[in-house]
Amino acid sequence: MIKVNKVKKTYEGKVPTYALKEVSFEIAEGKFVALMGRSGSGKSTLLHQLGLIDTPTSGKIYINNTEVTALSDIKKTFFRLKHLGYVFQEYALIAEFTALENVHLPARAIGNKINEGRAKELLELVGLGNRLSHYPSEMSGGEQQRVAIARSLINSPKVLFADEPTANLDTVSSETVLKLFQKLNRELKQTIIMVTHEPDDVKYVDQIIWLKDGGLEKIENNNKVELLK
Amino acid sequence: MITDIKTAFFIAYKSILKGNRSTMFLLIFILSLSFLNLMFIAGIMKGLTSGMTKSIIDTSLGHITISPQVEPTKRDYIDNQDQLVADIKTIPGIVGVTRHYKTSGQISFDKEKNGKFETVSASIVGIDPNDERKVLTTYQNITSGKFLDGTETDEIVISSSIAGGGEISSPEDNLGGAKVGDRVMITFAGGYVRHYKIKGIFEVSMGGASQSVFVSSKEAESILGVYNNASEIVVRVDESRDTIENYYQRIKAMAPNLKIQPYSDLLSTIGTMLSAFDLIATIVGIISIIVAAVTIFVLIYVNAVNKRRQIGILKAIGIKESIIEISYIFQSVFYAICSVGMGSILVFGVLSPLLKAHPIALPFGDAALVFTNSKIITSVASMLISGLVAGYLPARIVAKQSILDAIWG
Repeated sequence: MIKVNKVKKTYEGKVPTYALKEVSFEIAEGKFVALMGRSGSGKSTLLHQLGLIDTPTSGKIYINNTEVTALSDIKKTFFRLKHLGYVFQEYALIAEFTALENVHLPARAIGNKINEGRAKELLELVGLGNRLSHYPSEMSGGEQQRVAIARSLINSPKVLFADEPTANLDTVSSETVLKLFQKLNRELKQTIIMVTHEPDDVKYVDQIIWLKDGGLEKIENNNKVELLK
Repeated sequence: MITDIKTAFFIAYKSILKGNRSTMFLLIFILSLSFLNLMFIAGIMKGLTSGMTKSIIDTSLGHITISPQVEPTKRDYIDNQDQLVADIKTIPGIVGVTRHYKTSGQISFDKEKNGKFETVSASIVGIDPNDERKVLTTYQNITSGKFLDGTETDEIVISSSIAGGGEISSPEDNLGGAKVGDRVMITFAGGYVRHYKIKGIFEVSMGGASQSVFVSSKEAESILGVYNNASEIVVRVDESRDTIENYYQRIKAMAPNLKIQPYSDLLSTIGTMLSAFDLIATIVGIISIIVAAVTIFVLIYVNAVNKRRQIGILKAIGIKESIIEISYIFQSVFYAICSVGMGSILVFGVLSPLLKAHPIALPFGDAALVFTNSKIITSVASMLISGLVAGYLPARIVAKQSILDAIWG
């Protein structure tokens, strides 16, 4: 599903920063994976490369057998729109759009084949069926993050990326979001890759990829979750 | 492409609808002032040149001037003028026809009655006052006394610049303050001398009439020793009925041997000034368009920079850069259209009626705002194109940023 081959990211400057040092691993389809590590370990940088919002200095990334690192910028944008979903740490909704419009926007950009009914279904799936016409400023942080999750699913992505999605949420909202991810993973077989630094979050994931100083430290399987599955 | 445009339109529509209202109104207000500036400069310059031209037409040239034959032999007068005048009057749309006798002379005035005369060169014009009233407006500009009624042989009407006595006039080029009722002496070009009483004094701001002395045609004929002739025939037409060119052609057909000129051919003396005004208006217009474009650029750029994070989010979820750029173009064109609307209300609803009612009085004529259709279309198109270009560039600059830079700075 996802193959990462010697991906390197260096930020040039007076003193170059080696954010990723030839990282290689594979993720199977339908997995819920956590990228973990200390601050500065390179987990967010890795997620940005996987989510095509940044370009690695070298190395190759394959998603569904497509070498995405070789795509042009325009093709990357379209790939992101069609095959990837992205959930940011800070909700990242468009302030002028209602919840429904925010969720439906990626579908609109792809050609409106997916109608607003699908967007409503997704908002109901994340428990916000009664907040369709609310603007981000009228919703709590947890609600906004759930709208962002619904938006990331509108085009039925192959992979959903989440960058510390619970970092700005209270305990209850965090649990709601993580349970929602777990539900998506178990019921819809959605592949999810999530950056987190919360040790408690690992109880929801199948696999943990540990990073240290920009390199791959280890990959752990969460057997408890695997068994439950 | 249609999907992109529809998505861009939706983003622009929502940004306008739910964006900061006060910022939007401020932006539209500033741009409407740019449009107002663009229109006002063009309008007032056109108004100045139109005012000057109208002043000359009204007081001196009329719309068409007929002069004596030049080819094959030059003649001093138009013969049998009454027949020609009668023929011209049959052309539909002719408002009036008047003939002039023209000669020159020296007008002298002994203000202190001490034998010391102030003498000024003047153009002596013999007129038929009743016809004159239908063609030229000098009779409306009498500031003291009365205009001629046509029966006079010993009375004249002179311009205020010849009479003198005003605050700014110097005695070297006028009579030093001649008044209605005063008697003056005129030495005509042929050396013939006559004395007249001043019946009226008129004031015109521009044109040949400002150095003229009017006598009756009857008196002019007596001095020049001619009858039923004219040095020139001046025609006023109804411009709303037909073009000057068409009137010109019809008169030309009636008098093929005479020299016939529309007023535009005779404006050569002020042609340079009119060209200079046009050039100034064009330069100021271009500067106004640049100012408007820079204003739109700055405002849209600030707006786009403020929405940099949003642009980053849009890119991150897969919205193409081109969609984001088009959405900004839609927004800036919307602002430009609103500015044109608001600016038009200010120009045509406030400024233009105000200046029509109270034109700016200038030495060479009254100036109000005058707009031609082509100027209005050019100004509106310039504003919209400025909006389009100046809206696109900042959006492009911001949309080109990497997603990470846009979202997290």
